[in-house]
Amino acid sequence: MARQNSFDTDLFERGVLARLSGVDAGYGAATVLRGVDFEARKGEVALVTGPEAAGKTSLMHLLRLTLAPRAGRALILGADIARVGARTRAKIKRRIGYVAENPVFVEHWSAFENIVLPLKMAGARARDYTLDVHELVDFVGLASAASDLAMEKLSGAERRRVAIARALAIKPDLILADDPTAGMSPAEGRRIVRVLAEMRRVGAGVVIASQDESLAECGPILRWRIERGRVSPVDHPTRAEAEALE
Amino acid sequence: MKNALTGVERALFWTLVFAAFAAAAAGLAARAVDRLAAERQASLTQYAIVRVVAPDAPAGTAAAMAALNRAAHVEQATPMSAARAAQLLGGAVPPGEIPAIQLIELTLEPDAPGDVGDSLEAALAEGGVTGEVTLAPPEADALAARLRLAAVWGAALFAAVMALIISLAARGLAARRRELVTVMADCGATQAQAAGRIADEATLLGLYAGLVGGLLAGAAGLAVLLIAIPGVDVDALRTMILPIDLAPIAAAPLGAAIAAGAGARAAAGFFHGQAARLG
Repeated sequence: MARQNSFDTDLFERGVLARLSGVDAGYGAATVLRGVDFEARKGEVALVTGPEAAGKTSLMHLLRLTLAPRAGRALILGADIARVGARTRAKIKRRIGYVAENPVFVEHWSAFENIVLPLKMAGARARDYTLDVHELVDFVGLASAASDLAMEKLSGAERRRVAIARALAIKPDLILADDPTAGMSPAEGRRIVRVLAEMRRVGAGVVIASQDESLAECGPILRWRIERGRVSPVDHPTRAEAEALE
Repeated sequence: MKNALTGVERALFWTLVFAAFAAAAAGLAARAVDRLAAERQASLTQYAIVRVVAPDAPAGTAAAMAALNRAAHVEQATPMSAARAAQLLGGAVPPGEIPAIQLIELTLEPDAPGDVGDSLEAALAEGGVTGEVTLAPPEADALAARLRLAAVWGAALFAAVMALIISLAARGLAARRRELVTVMADCGATQAQAAGRIADEATLLGLYAGLVGGLLAGAAGLAVLLIAIPGVDVDALRTMILPIDLAPIAAAPLGAAIAAGAGARAAAGFFHGQAARLG
């Protein structure tokens, strides 16, 4: 019976990549997210803004399956994450591209090797992905010479681009970016957000968390506001308006 | 194995080599002790002395020798000389002062039964000789048996300790690869995938280290033999060293690989669990 409730494939097929309904979550005794209702859909870009320590990163952890809901229901790519096992969670994570606030890399590997790691894990052969990955390196704005350098030699902005390329390499259904413009100039930050937003064109859903509300000007982006662990939509168009915009 | 033998990994590799060397050397030493003890055990349990009561020497000794050479379970019969008797007495009595003795030393076949004394006395009687057969007491080989047991278990215990050291050192390798485990967990690798990758690397490192350690132990053993047995040549060594004596050298790479793989797998699994936990 539990297994029947673990998946909602119908919701996923209707384009809902993530749906949080009345979700509470936190760490230890602290509750960081309270009664969160949130949705990310295929082909949409969502920007979650809020002050420091409002719960943006916790929301990202919830969406990338490293934080369990204490109350409510969290459906990610059709799976109820509180009910599925570790193996299924791992399977779902392979369909999520995640750009962490402080991305972790294998420092002595080159940027290219770090980018292709998820592809190697999926069993892809080098001759099948090499060209695509070089295009991806161009797409995220990383100089091709830099992609051959060891990670420890790259600047902060270059490392962030590598993190984005690694997240996009697997052609994920859902892309999560936690403060992807941190430490970048406003122009550079906007370029990065546009790169991420471009992924909506290939059918992915994108969720970006940032303190910078001006990033919403980078394209057709749905805004969400998070404060003290509560998430609320900001000026969301009606479905009819959205379709008209499309 | 990219950059596997740089910096800390090189030190780790030599730690594994040392542990594998020590385990293999202990195994070789145990084999040597076992073989020496086995020889001693055989010499004690396959030994008997015949005292010829009648007829008197030298006719008695000659008749007894003839009867014993025909008897079953006797490998060799040698009349005891005064010099040999003096040697057995530890030089307490000079050979010249030892009176005429009618003793015959026997080497029995390995499969001689425990009551072989009775059949030997019957064989002597058939040859017209009255004699007393004294067999080695059953506890004569107890020390050698205990020594053999101690050698086997001592080497096994030492090898287990070395395997533990290798396993713990391999955990260090997994700690060095923690970032890779974290990235793999982030990208959706299962615990088996992430731990397996690190374990494969550690297994390979353990295999190479075990191979080097085992060969070094073999070389050291050979050097000890050359020093301990003056004038020994290669042909003699070839006949002296049994295939089973090489078991510790063969086991070193295998044991080191298994211990290193298991240690790294456990640590990487733990790191993956931390990275992928549903907090």
